[in-house]
Amino acid sequence: MRFDDLVRVSLRQVVRHRRRYIGVVLAIAVGVAGFISIFTMGQDVKKNFNQDLAFIGGVTIIRNVLEFRPQHPITEFHSDTVKAIQKIPGVAMASLVGFERIKGFWKGEPELFSVVAVDENFWKMRGLEPRTGRLFGLQAVQDRQRLAVLGTRLAHSLFGTDDVAGRTLELDNDIYQIVGVVEGLRDINMEKSIFVPLTTATDRFSRKLTTDRLYVRCATWDDVPKVAKAIPQVVQAHQSAKNLLVEVSWENLTHVKRVAFWIEFFIYLAFASTLILGGMGIWNIMMAAVRTRTREIGLKKAMGAEDQDILAQFLTEALCLSLAAAFVGVVLGRILVELLGFWIGMRPPEELFFTCLVISLVFAVALGVGAGLYPSIQAARMEVVSATRYE
Amino acid sequence: MSKPAAPSQTPLIQVTDLTKTYNNGAGLIPVLREVNLEVYTGEMVAVMGPSGSGKSTLLYILGLLQPPTSGSYRWEGVEISSLGRTEQAEFRRRRLGFVFQACDLLENSTVYENLEFPLIYEGVERQERPPRILEALRKVNLGNRLYHSANLLSGGERQRVAVARALVNRPQLILADEPTGQLDRRHGHLVMEHFEEIIANGDTAVIIVTHDPDIAARCSRVCPMEDGVLHGLK
Repeated sequence: MRFDDLVRVSLRQVVRHRRRYIGVVLAIAVGVAGFISIFTMGQDVKKNFNQDLAFIGGVTIIRNVLEFRPQHPITEFHSDTVKAIQKIPGVAMASLVGFERIKGFWKGEPELFSVVAVDENFWKMRGLEPRTGRLFGLQAVQDRQRLAVLGTRLAHSLFGTDDVAGRTLELDNDIYQIVGVVEGLRDINMEKSIFVPLTTATDRFSRKLTTDRLYVRCATWDDVPKVAKAIPQVVQAHQSAKNLLVEVSWENLTHVKRVAFWIEFFIYLAFASTLILGGMGIWNIMMAAVRTRTREIGLKKAMGAEDQDILAQFLTEALCLSLAAAFVGVVLGRILVELLGFWIGMRPPEELFFTCLVISLVFAVALGVGAGLYPSIQAARMEVVSATRYE
Repeated sequence: MSKPAAPSQTPLIQVTDLTKTYNNGAGLIPVLREVNLEVYTGEMVAVMGPSGSGKSTLLYILGLLQPPTSGSYRWEGVEISSLGRTEQAEFRRRRLGFVFQACDLLENSTVYENLEFPLIYEGVERQERPPRILEALRKVNLGNRLYHSANLLSGGERQRVAVARALVNRPQLILADEPTGQLDRRHGHLVMEHFEEIIANGDTAVIIVTHDPDIAARCSRVCPMEDGVLHGLK
């Protein structure tokens, strides 16, 4: 039997009985579409997933502190050290922070405030949002503006309300305008603090501000170990790192990774199950086809079809089914990828999609052959006389 | 009734001492007992007998659809009873045509598609197929039904399409198992007329299995069969 005849006859058979096959084709198509969207968007989804989980557990944040030790002079992170750390592969962002106790006045009485001097990355780094008002950004840091953001507890203790935007506060003989109240700090001391731009604090505070803390956020939790390992070397290359303390929430990281692994595992398991069920569907439907077409098989053998012709026809029909399912799955997958990309705001590399396309086609062929082989062999081995007499 | 054709020197098929025995678990059941038969090109032979006499089994063995238990089966003088499965299939598609009782057409297919299959298995070029299919259909007066769905044909038309399909590969022997069994008298005679036209060309033989004396009467030779024994030989 010629190849073009084989394909034409098999395709015709599948198209004419499409209603019988539609359920199986859709099941496999959904599995393929799921695989393509997970595989193509996996990295981007993982980054977003990491961010969300990291905000909860802070597991992708590495806290670097230049500790005060009596035998060492007070040190802080140099700007070229920070820039070099930002260039370490796997680092998403870095934020330099200084803590200080600053004297101020409140209702005419002297008061000692906890002040956190932060750069523009701090909010995003910690996943913080304004409860009221706004949080200052790059412009305020560059222009050294005298702006302040209050922690919720401090706002309540000073003003008895969250609605404090527009009010003022005296710090170290300077008046600072309060622009908002921040929430999501998950640290009681920080909730009692005032946040000011790092540059403003450096310039205006009478006591020298020591920027001895550097928070580093990694792109994914897989990057955390290697970034944590690289930081001391990078710091050492630019300044003394004798009193450097690198802190990672290893326990939380392990826990979050374990949770994520199981989520990922169950997602893949769900898609694999769909595909296996699809394969079993093809197997089942082909077995049924062999049974219902027994007379046809006998008739074709009487016409001179060889065993291999019958085997090839049933196998090609199974392949047509799985390839049709893969085609529908690829189209669905592409639509899903576009929608996910639009939703997440990211666009995966086009090559990744084509890799998926090839994998899906190879998989479809394997599924078609795997599920269709046994029924095809059964059909090919059928005895002509019993087949032609089959009722 | 057609006139017996003048036998050529070598018979097309020669069956000698052919037996077929089935084992039903309790013992051996003989279905064919030392059957001897010669059929020449241009002949139409009727194998006639009651149900269970073994006539269909004989037809299947002659069509290489079933192996005999013992005996010799020669085709133009060459022993063919020991051919392998692939060789048997090749033999069937090149030399034999089958017409079954149940008007076995491929459902959900057109008349053209039904007749195309023997040509596909034979490896006939695509452009050669339409004229050959049309030629076969014209022999049974169904040239105008080329693209009709097989499901929509009447019983008589279906059987005539089955005859055309048996003819499309230009076989030397047509084996017909009760070809008129499910047809009314008028359509049955129409099918027989087609068989008579086929053997009139002198290059094909037809063996018909039937229990209808009217059908058998139209054949060149009648071989009665009873309990696996074939009478009226040669």
